[in-house]
Amino acid sequence: MIDWSVFGAWISAAMVVWIYSFAYRDNVFYKLAEHMFVGAAAGYSIALALDSLNRVMIKPAVTTPSTFWPNSWHYVIPAILGVLMFAKYSRRYYWLARYAVAVNIAVGTGLAMRTVPIANIVKQVTATIVPLWGSDPVAVLNNWLLVLITIGGLTYFLFTVFPKRAEGARPSPLYYAYRALYYIGIYGMMVGFGALFANTIMTRVGFLISIYLIYLQPQYWATIVAAILAAVAILLSLRKK
Amino acid sequence: MSGSISLGKILESRELLYTLLLISVILPIIHPLGIPIAVSARTKAVYNYIENNLKPGCHVYFEIYYEVAARGELEPNVVALTKHLFDKGCKIVYVSLASYGVVVFNLLKSTAADIFQGKEYGKDYVFLGYVAGGESAAASLAKSIKGTVSTDNYGNRLEDLPLMREVDKATDFDLVIIASSGTDTFAYYVRQWYTPYNVPLLFAALSIIAPSIEPYVGAKQAVGMLVGQRAGAEYEVLVGRLGLGMASMDAQSTSHMLVLAFIVIGNVVYWSRRLSSKKGGGK
Repeated sequence: MIDWSVFGAWISAAMVVWIYSFAYRDNVFYKLAEHMFVGAAAGYSIALALDSLNRVMIKPAVTTPSTFWPNSWHYVIPAILGVLMFAKYSRRYYWLARYAVAVNIAVGTGLAMRTVPIANIVKQVTATIVPLWGSDPVAVLNNWLLVLITIGGLTYFLFTVFPKRAEGARPSPLYYAYRALYYIGIYGMMVGFGALFANTIMTRVGFLISIYLIYLQPQYWATIVAAILAAVAILLSLRKK
Repeated sequence: MSGSISLGKILESRELLYTLLLISVILPIIHPLGIPIAVSARTKAVYNYIENNLKPGCHVYFEIYYEVAARGELEPNVVALTKHLFDKGCKIVYVSLASYGVVVFNLLKSTAADIFQGKEYGKDYVFLGYVAGGESAAASLAKSIKGTVSTDNYGNRLEDLPLMREVDKATDFDLVIIASSGTDTFAYYVRQWYTPYNVPLLFAALSIIAPSIEPYVGAKQAVGMLVGQRAGAEYEVLVGRLGLGMASMDAQSTSHMLVLAFIVIGNVVYWSRRLSSKKGGGK
């Protein structure tokens, strides 16, 4: 008898090694792992989506119609719209899919727009109105940085009206203020991008560490065999070239 | 001259960096260094919020929205938070707006089985499973869970689960936790749960997306944020259950030191080349 759990653990360890082998060079095992992953992920997503549809609508409609239809009859509307999406595959009736897409976009936009002005504009602007004087020097410094970098960032993206330096004339104080804010914006964004880059490294290394701990370390023989196979495939491909 | 170029070429090769990175990850796991970690003020603030604001019997809504690859970053946070909430006597409703949430929840239950031991399904916690629809689904769940889904992940009718008789809408929850590897999920809950219903939100995010959702925390639209594996390790220390987060910290430290060393080397090589090309007539 095959122990499928051991088989699965070996396969998962091998897949991880083969996917990471792309960091060294493209090879046949990487391609195998890539295609298997894409196929399995797509199949799994479809199965889960169908299960969700079955669990939420089809099964209750069939098994408990007396409670489903009075309370949840409106589920039929998205179900019909969902079916209309498949009209895209018909040359004659493809236009029907537009109704489903239109409703989908309209509902999404409507739901988002009812709260976006408060959540993403008013609250964010309010959060930048902070006291610039106080007893805590660290908090004061933070608040100054927040205000200056916010205004500086906005100034950097000002493409319509901005003070220009007339040739031969002395620049106006407004011009100096604009340039100062412009550079504060640039450096503020650079610091932001630096933080983003550092966090990116942290996340990717975190993924590698956890994948090693969960999948590779417990199945070290599978890891070694998969790594040797990938190395041989890379060497063979280099030799062919 | 040719010697320095060849050294530069070796240092430039990505294979060398990847090999050293692998070694810097594997060695400290095989031989732990035991580098101590301090609990950051941000993680402590989240712990204190739960400690001071949630009472036994409170209700927590827990969004599980991350794929298997992101387990290492987010699962330590989810496990430690779940332990803290159960220790406080809270009841948890898990849900996922992503199809892979079902997979990671099952993995969570198998790897942290000790936390769920003694907790009764349906009474202490419920898993609603995958709810399709993205932001529309989040809005619908906030209005009425039972109006959105009629059964849980295992096909049980929600009316038959004691916990689901206690909660139905956003305002029935004392805290909403979102553990997500996607930026949009946090925006969904800020827009559909916090803004209309003023429900306190708590974020557990990947380090990579933390800067993107920081404005929500800064604007007090969320009570706090746990960032990545590091916060998971810190929370594990606070709740007294060391796991994947803490096991990863030595490897995180050594790999970061390696990346820092390569940034320094890269800059030295860049500037030395630039200066030598200026000396040689600008070529």
